[in-house]
Amino acid sequence: MSVDFDPYAILGVSPDASEEDIRDSYRRAARRLHPDTNQDNPGAAVQFAEITAAYNLLLNYTERIAYNQEVKQRPQDPLAFSLRVTPSKRNLFPLTESQVVYMLAEILPDPRAEAAQEEIRLQTHLNLTLVLDKSNSMNGKRIERVQVAAHKIIDQLSPQDILSVVAFNDHAEVVIPATTVMDKPGLKARIAMLKAFGGTEMFRGLSAGVEENKKYLAPRLVNHVILVTDGNTYGDQEKCLALAQKATQEGISISAMGLGDEWNDKFLDQLASITGGASDYIKTSRSVVRFLDEHVRSLSNGFVDRLSLSVAPDIGVRLESAFKLMPNPQSLSIEEGLIPLGNLQINRITSILLQFELPANMREGYQAIARMVASGDILSSDQQRFQCLSDISLGVTRTPQTDETPPAILDALGRLTLYRMQERAQEALEEGNFVEATSRLEKLATRLFQLGEGSLAEQVRQDAKQVAFTQTLSAKGRKNIKYQTRYLLGGTAVMDEHEEDA
Amino acid sequence: MRACQYCRYANREGFFFCEDCGQPISSEAPAESPTKQIDQSLEHYEWRTSYGTTHFQAGAMIMLHVLDYPTPIVVRPIEQVIIGRKDTDNRLPPDIDLSPYGAAEKGVSRVHAAILRTEEALVLIDKGSANGTHLNGQRLIPQQPRVLRDGDEIRLGRLVAHIYFTT
Repeated sequence: MSVDFDPYAILGVSPDASEEDIRDSYRRAARRLHPDTNQDNPGAAVQFAEITAAYNLLLNYTERIAYNQEVKQRPQDPLAFSLRVTPSKRNLFPLTESQVVYMLAEILPDPRAEAAQEEIRLQTHLNLTLVLDKSNSMNGKRIERVQVAAHKIIDQLSPQDILSVVAFNDHAEVVIPATTVMDKPGLKARIAMLKAFGGTEMFRGLSAGVEENKKYLAPRLVNHVILVTDGNTYGDQEKCLALAQKATQEGISISAMGLGDEWNDKFLDQLASITGGASDYIKTSRSVVRFLDEHVRSLSNGFVDRLSLSVAPDIGVRLESAFKLMPNPQSLSIEEGLIPLGNLQINRITSILLQFELPANMREGYQAIARMVASGDILSSDQQRFQCLSDISLGVTRTPQTDETPPAILDALGRLTLYRMQERAQEALEEGNFVEATSRLEKLATRLFQLGEGSLAEQVRQDAKQVAFTQTLSAKGRKNIKYQTRYLLGGTAVMDEHEEDA
Repeated sequence: MRACQYCRYANREGFFFCEDCGQPISSEAPAESPTKQIDQSLEHYEWRTSYGTTHFQAGAMIMLHVLDYPTPIVVRPIEQVIIGRKDTDNRLPPDIDLSPYGAAEKGVSRVHAAILRTEEALVLIDKGSANGTHLNGQRLIPQQPRVLRDGDEIRLGRLVAHIYFTT
């Protein structure tokens, strides 16, 4: 039989634990995670289902023996990943009001992976689908650069990789049906024939793309769809999001690249975020090639795919927000129990900053905060749904030791605050509250200047003036502020070339 | 709740940065000098009427004459001229920095008011200053623009200045 998770790890018991131990451990975990005491807690629901499955398996004698047998046949000590959680404070003071605490969750690839990276890369194969916008607005330089980018991607892929290409305007056209990348010149020729005309109906393109991707869908592959568009889609956004949701469940992630200034950034960010994919703003058609090339490189550099995190806050504790800091900074949706995080690269940490609200009047002693489980498919060894668990509780005392806030958290929070300020300015702008938008932008400019981001500060200051005067901010200005403050979070800004489209 | 020492915004416990202005929140004393609060009840200023033109010619300059200081401040009217007080070095200085004119003593805020340029006129806006902005003896409502005339008297906190349009 095959089980796609480690029942011992999920219950926190050793492989030689007695039935009594397993019962005990299950009861303790179930009390915390039971749906009756955890309403509106999707993370707890996901984890409750997992511990129950683990419990049922381990208490069934034959199933447990079979599982142990299967584990024995696995290679010894395979490469894995680990989860490290750092709280902003280790000791809390019991207050008569609620308080906020931050957790930095870091998912680290096996330290041995870097030494074995050549080997891992040889075993990591992509099932890649490109969904390219060929609407009228892409005509000219844009479609040309996208074609060059697609050619470069084909050059990069190995014969074991699978590629499919869909182009869309009002209709979807399968330019390259899913195939292994053997005949590179032939594939390139088909892309070279693309012509741009017509409207933008994203759902048609996206659904045809996901269909192509599904043909070779496999848990050992990196199943990924890259959407490149320069426009808005009308009326089918909800359908696109539902499609993305379903694709995630099937193991496909989607990245969205917005070209120019006319596309809907909120929508594309959301589309990518619910699948664990990345979204980016490509200012000029000149940079398309580099953006796509780097993105595909980061996919081939994957060590774990379909990485996700489930967070089950304890009673009285609320998870307020989650933000992925590295790589590809983005807001994460916490409405579903599982937060998809895309892939874990061989030599890069994935880090997430979580904000929790703790109840007022906590009792002295220990306060359980949350149980977190990171899971993912390790591509180099057949290990699917490998899991790491972290159980966090903090001390509550009236005489807390002054502990230093970890610099990594402080640094990340400082930058995240800038991103949030920008978000609030944009919200005010959308609501038509120009006085507030101006003042928020001015405050952001002040803060950026203090932090040594002089040129961005000056840009934001100009934007504040523009809002005060004209009561509008161009789509370009809005996207600039958003993505520039977002790049600050990652620390590794992808510099965009400044030349404009001809 | 913990009030931000820069903007007084009430943040929830556990925050490290002010949700409103983004400044770090700490229990230590603020590094910048807060704007001095002025007891407005002791102040008395006469209303005055001004008859100057509102027409601001293209290429004209703004001349700001601070009371008791012989040399006027002359600035080119860009879209928005911020009037205030430079504080510590790590802030963007305002376009017109009144700190050499006793601004701190007279209760001028760091970002006190702004002069905006419209088609053919100038308007004055109070930027939510601590001690208010007066135009010809009348207190401005924060963030509400008022048209300026040549020769108008403006008062920022207790600092009085006259505005002239020069060609």
